[in-house]
Amino acid sequence: MGKVAGPGSDQEGAAQAVMDRGLAQALSADRVRFTLALAAAKGAGAAGRLLNIGGGTSFPGTVARRIDPLVLRKVIAASTVGKAAITGSNGKTTTCRMLAALAQAAGVSVAQNRSGSNLLQGVTSVAVREADLRGKMGARLLLLEVDEATMRQVAPEVAPDMILITNIFRDQLDRFGELYAMARVLEASVEALPARGSVVLNGDDPLVASLAPQAAARRLYFGLCAEDVGTETPEHAADTIRCVRCQHPLTYHRVYASHLGDYECRACGTRRPDLDIAVTRVQESPDGGTDMTVETPAGTVRLHVPLPGLHNVYNAAAALGGTFALGALEPGSAQSALASLRPAFGRLEEIKAGGRKAILSCVKNPASYNATLRVILQRPGRKHLLAAHSNTAVDGEDFAWLWDVDLERLVPKLESLVISGTRAEEVALRMKYAGADRAGMWLIPGCRAALDAALARIPPGEPLYILAGYTPMREFRRIMQKRGWVPPFWEE
Amino acid sequence: MEHAAPISIRICHLYPRLLSVAGDRGNLFALTRRCAWRGIQSSVVEADLGEVPDFTEFDLILMHGGQDCEMRVAARDLAMKAGPLHEAIETGSVVLAVCAGYQLLGKYYAPAGVPPITGIGVLDAVTEGGSTRFMGHIAVACDLDGGGQHRLVGFENHSGRTYLGPGVDPLGQVIAGSGNNGQDGTEGARYREVYATYLHGPLLPKNPWLTDQLISAALRHHYRDVGQLDLLAPLEDQMEAEAHTAALRLACRPTGRWWAAIAARRLNLTDARSHETVPSP
Repeated sequence: MGKVAGPGSDQEGAAQAVMDRGLAQALSADRVRFTLALAAAKGAGAAGRLLNIGGGTSFPGTVARRIDPLVLRKVIAASTVGKAAITGSNGKTTTCRMLAALAQAAGVSVAQNRSGSNLLQGVTSVAVREADLRGKMGARLLLLEVDEATMRQVAPEVAPDMILITNIFRDQLDRFGELYAMARVLEASVEALPARGSVVLNGDDPLVASLAPQAAARRLYFGLCAEDVGTETPEHAADTIRCVRCQHPLTYHRVYASHLGDYECRACGTRRPDLDIAVTRVQESPDGGTDMTVETPAGTVRLHVPLPGLHNVYNAAAALGGTFALGALEPGSAQSALASLRPAFGRLEEIKAGGRKAILSCVKNPASYNATLRVILQRPGRKHLLAAHSNTAVDGEDFAWLWDVDLERLVPKLESLVISGTRAEEVALRMKYAGADRAGMWLIPGCRAALDAALARIPPGEPLYILAGYTPMREFRRIMQKRGWVPPFWEE
Repeated sequence: MEHAAPISIRICHLYPRLLSVAGDRGNLFALTRRCAWRGIQSSVVEADLGEVPDFTEFDLILMHGGQDCEMRVAARDLAMKAGPLHEAIETGSVVLAVCAGYQLLGKYYAPAGVPPITGIGVLDAVTEGGSTRFMGHIAVACDLDGGGQHRLVGFENHSGRTYLGPGVDPLGQVIAGSGNNGQDGTEGARYREVYATYLHGPLLPKNPWLTDQLISAALRHHYRDVGQLDLLAPLEDQMEAEAHTAALRLACRPTGRWWAAIAARRLNLTDARSHETVPSP
């Protein structure tokens, strides 16, 4: 096993720790490898925190998998934990946080990948962090946010009891190929659920609601059934507005966001399924959040969600559905469970930026961008904007989708505009064709310089909106964290 | 340009919702904006499923990309529109066809393992399904009608492999990327005033020369005898040039594409690299 231990001092130290505990002599080589992987990952996580290099959100998982590729399967096998996977295009992080808050309010201990590191390494990281050196997790619920393309790898290793699918939007087509190909990946993971398991689906999303109709698991649908919000017809960026079964155009009785709503196919009779978790009343509250009434199989829940926008109403409905599916929904304790929720990092996050106010939001596809624009446009005053996109493995290479964002509605309200990121030229061109004046645009590729320039331009009291792709959003946050404006994202 | 009525072109946007997969409407924005900036009026008519307009009434017809499943729906419907569309193309209406739109103007698209999709056969081209996707930045060298070398840059994302017959010309030669089929170095197709390409999403904003060529051709179609309309007023295209250069740089990235970088140098495209973006006040 000398080769596995390697020359690194961390790993030697970890091996020493194993020896000290007197475990090694009793165990098989496989067992040693497993324990070593756990110890090394824990060491890596601690080192990451100590050295301030990103809180070790995916690095420990990378280390553990390098030593023992089966480490995640082994931790899952050794633990008696409930396993929930939250996936879909948008709203995963916020839905996870809400679900965790609801479950904790009902007294269920939760282990989760909170920082949006939702690829296989991030999932492995949370498992090895929560496990002891024998590989057993202490928490009662393992709550995982899983990237929709990664479900293919994560689902077989984790064998979830519950899968929640928030929605399917066109999210980085260059990464996922086509929408339906991704739907098939999710479908396969739903079909693999055990009969005692459950799947929580967005009933308002025609594609999601139609997934895996033959699956053995229990199906629960969430959605909106509220007259006081929504519109009559879909906006431009709506993706799935044709019947999934017969391709006939769908008729909407109500559209709540993009292609989400109460739909019906007049050709084949497909319609929105009956909702198990139905939001019946939505009202904006004075603090910018939302008061909502939700009918659930466990009874009526009145919730205050301190986050703005209809997309957060969907997130809350999804979280209630997931909590109910896991048998942890208590309407009484649920009412106040979300009251202390703050926006997930980079989700319309309000930041005190050295005497100015910045509002940071991650925008990664037309749906999330339009949802954010809707919230911004409801607020009074002219807007100061810092927009940034970069081509990376996470954010994709192709930014064609920017042309599906309804920036034409924002541009007339712009007071100042700074553009940053490695694809700044593409963003700038989009802004020009949306009607922005070239003379009023600043192109500053570097994030730090762009942030300083944008903040310097705004008068006191007016907020700077930072709308950025995932990678530049993390970069802005890292800069602001160094200045003490925001806490590190892994402490959220 | 002494016309009493304002100069105008008529645009038909085919399947604006069905075939609109990744920002394709950016092409429409580019056309209408660049017309408006020159005082040229443009009217846009949407032609959806079930509608059979008289395509000869239009100067410019747009048809974009879609997923296989949407393409199948479009193909069934396009069969109804084939007659008037064919006539319009033969009488000089300008067509921009992208991805699925390109494939549907060909003879057929045959994805593996499922029944083929029949096109209307305006273009002498066939498309076979492939097991891998061509996905990435692409740069193409075009010499249309001997009007000088131009460069197209953009992003391609397709699994179909298109093979051109003798009845059409390629739109251009691939500098970096895959193009029609990844083998013969051709990209897109050109027949009369049909411009077909795999460069998806908003191709026109970054390639203003092509946008202007389409507008010129549309004006020629509208005002058949007016020669001076060829000369569109020049626009301030610095941002377009910057975005074009940035996209070219991505297509010719040296990582794993060293041969593309060498080809770019051979084709004398390296001058574009000196165009660094300057933060403007």
